[in-house]
Amino acid sequence: MCGIVGYLDKTGKNSARLGPTLLLMLTALGRRGPDSAGVAIYAPRADDAQVLRVKLGNGGDFAARAAEVARRVGAMAAIQDQSQDEEYLKLVIGFEGDPKRLQAQIEGIGPDVEVISFGTALDLVKQVGSPRALDHRFHLEHATGTHAIAHTRLSTESRIDLSHSQPFWAHGSLDLATVHNGHITNYHKLRRLYEQRGVRFYTENDSEIIGIYLAEMLASGLSLEQAMRSSIKFFDGSFSYLAATANELGFAKDPFSLKPLIVAESDQFVAIATEEVALHAVAGEVVPTWEPPAGSVQCWPVPAGQASARVQPRSSALA
Amino acid sequence: MTTIDCEGKSIREINTALRALIEAGETEIRVLNPAARHNLAVGLIQPVHLIFEGSVGYYCGGMGDEPVIDVHGSAGWGLAEGLMSGTVIVERNAGNGAAAAIRGGTIVVRGDVSARAGISMKGGTVVVGGSVGYATGFMMQKGTLIILGDAGMALGDSLYEGRIYLAGHAAELGNDAVLAEMDATDQQYLSETLSPLGYEAARYDFKKIVAGRKLWNFDKKDFETWRVAL
Repeated sequence: MCGIVGYLDKTGKNSARLGPTLLLMLTALGRRGPDSAGVAIYAPRADDAQVLRVKLGNGGDFAARAAEVARRVGAMAAIQDQSQDEEYLKLVIGFEGDPKRLQAQIEGIGPDVEVISFGTALDLVKQVGSPRALDHRFHLEHATGTHAIAHTRLSTESRIDLSHSQPFWAHGSLDLATVHNGHITNYHKLRRLYEQRGVRFYTENDSEIIGIYLAEMLASGLSLEQAMRSSIKFFDGSFSYLAATANELGFAKDPFSLKPLIVAESDQFVAIATEEVALHAVAGEVVPTWEPPAGSVQCWPVPAGQASARVQPRSSALA
Repeated sequence: MTTIDCEGKSIREINTALRALIEAGETEIRVLNPAARHNLAVGLIQPVHLIFEGSVGYYCGGMGDEPVIDVHGSAGWGLAEGLMSGTVIVERNAGNGAAAAIRGGTIVVRGDVSARAGISMKGGTVVVGGSVGYATGFMMQKGTLIILGDAGMALGDSLYEGRIYLAGHAAELGNDAVLAEMDATDQQYLSETLSPLGYEAARYDFKKIVAGRKLWNFDKKDFETWRVAL
């Protein structure tokens, strides 16, 4: 019984409102699952830099690990900024090569080192604990950006740790992230097929496969919406999921509408959540809400010309 | 009339306060700031008029007997599930499983409802002003569904009895759901039922859907239908 939320500012003028909005929505859904919480926030950058988040391991000497990551990244890219909070390392880099190569270099340090997110606009934080605890550590309230997806988790089948928390960045695919509520019941079969082709799975969490599939479809030339439509037939089970890239935010619902998902849309924004109680927290009674039909997919574009609208207050650990 | 404000109260506190007011003889209660929270006004078994000034969450009015509930907003999953008698009217949209397994009463949603409205209903009347989603009326056993908009896939799938009136288009009729002739009695019933709700039956072109009764008894000639239905 996880909770998922998505929010996109259609005007491109309310960047500063994203953090507080997201926090309100996620907190309202917190009781659906207190195991872990996370957010993927998109803030287009004025420069061409990329943001990299690395999990430094499950324990041990994080500082030494951070130094080694920086050394390896530094050999391939220009590091513009670096900050570390316990197991989390954040790097802002200028990099023009293949993201998968850089990722492989970093993850070569150890089996418990993982690139949590990598993108031109994406920044992603997640941890074990409630949405409030996430805010306490990463100051979500001050986060800015154009759109975001977030997750609060009730674990049913896989372990509770940072790597198994959501959102999932789709490894190797810049900026693509997903959040999922439900079960992908043909996960084991699909996972075997992907593993035969050499795809690495980082978790035992069935939700991870959504990003893997979407990344593959995007790489083959499909749009996000086309990829999500095709995913409805590819996956079995119960699912409502959200996916986001630097330019788009969308939802997909399984063909039997087994999991809830409610949408509130106005000229100003689109807000999506597992329960209306989260939409109510931001839209009140003013904007009508509706539950999209079984098997439906819809995507919204980020308003054009947002590339330079970035505001980054120093008080936030995000963006 | 009296008023309850949900702000700052737990669901149990709100429902306990509602019951206390009803026990004390209150017949009309306004409920402020429901904020789409779940399980509001469940299990009310006295005649009372509740007005929710805002949206409600899951199971609002569930298992009620005789209450009249107006929701000035939308409703989440399982609206008035298991209602015995009374009336629930939602001004906006409702989520999955509205009016599931009701035995009586009338449930009106003026907007759209999502999947499985009226699933396994055993009596009562459901009126939807907008459209309905997947598997509406699935395994319904008795009662009436009136849909003024369109219907999604598997409308009336595996229904035993009961009737569905559909004004719009159905993406697909479910297994053993078949079209039946509309007659003057149907028209009169629709007119009398919809008129008090502010809908003019004559403006719609209703089709009537009932059970084909092929699934009532197993016949190996119908194996394919059974295979799909099960």
